[in-house]
Amino acid sequence: MYLAALIACGISGILILVRIILGKTTFDRILAINSLGTIIVLGIALHGFYSGRPEFLDIAIVYALINFIGTIAVLKLFSTGSLGDIQK
Amino acid sequence: MHKNPILRVCTKILFAPIILFGLYVQFHGDFGPGGGFQAGVIVASAFILYSIVFGLDKGKELFPSNVNLFLLTLGGIIYGGVGITSMFLGEEFLSYNVLGSSPQSGQHIGILLVEFGVGLTVSNVMIALFNAFAGFKSGKGN
Repeated sequence: MYLAALIACGISGILILVRIILGKTTFDRILAINSLGTIIVLGIALHGFYSGRPEFLDIAIVYALINFIGTIAVLKLFSTGSLGDIQK
Repeated sequence: MHKNPILRVCTKILFAPIILFGLYVQFHGDFGPGGGFQAGVIVASAFILYSIVFGLDKGKELFPSNVNLFLLTLGGIIYGGVGITSMFLGEEFLSYNVLGSSPQSGQHIGILLVEFGVGLTVSNVMIALFNAFAGFKSGKGN
């Protein structure tokens, strides 16, 4: 069951990669990369349970966190041109 | 970005759990994945998220630069201090066995202190790097 879910994660990851490559605008690509991060979080958690090592959940949480912060940072960089300034 | 209520509320809700998770990774590092480096980066990411959403000035208000530099050096001093202490107690540099009453408790104390120093240094270096890079004045082009 875990293996089937892992394969499904892989296929959807490939589809999202196609979206990243074809993406019309920058924001399409950012959204696709965010979704790819979510798929990878799922994949890490599934791999942890598949191989009988649930400690992988910690790594999945960290990945979700970094994914969230990274997306916000990239969006801020693209919308204001700097990481530090407050948007007027 | 500080006017967006979703981001503002999310940041305020997530800030404390991120630091809590960093502390979990720091002190659970002997049983699961983790350790000083990872915990330092996770704790730093909480402050970086705050600085990104509320602006660099608010971030520096929350965590002033002089405190940042002080803690940055303090971590290195803790790391070196543990090593020098075991040297003064008659062993080699960073040999934890002499720090406690038994070799086992000595190892425990030593690893805890060294990882704490590493975490302190890494988190503050990350915040200092972010402050340095985000403080650049660049053109508004693109």
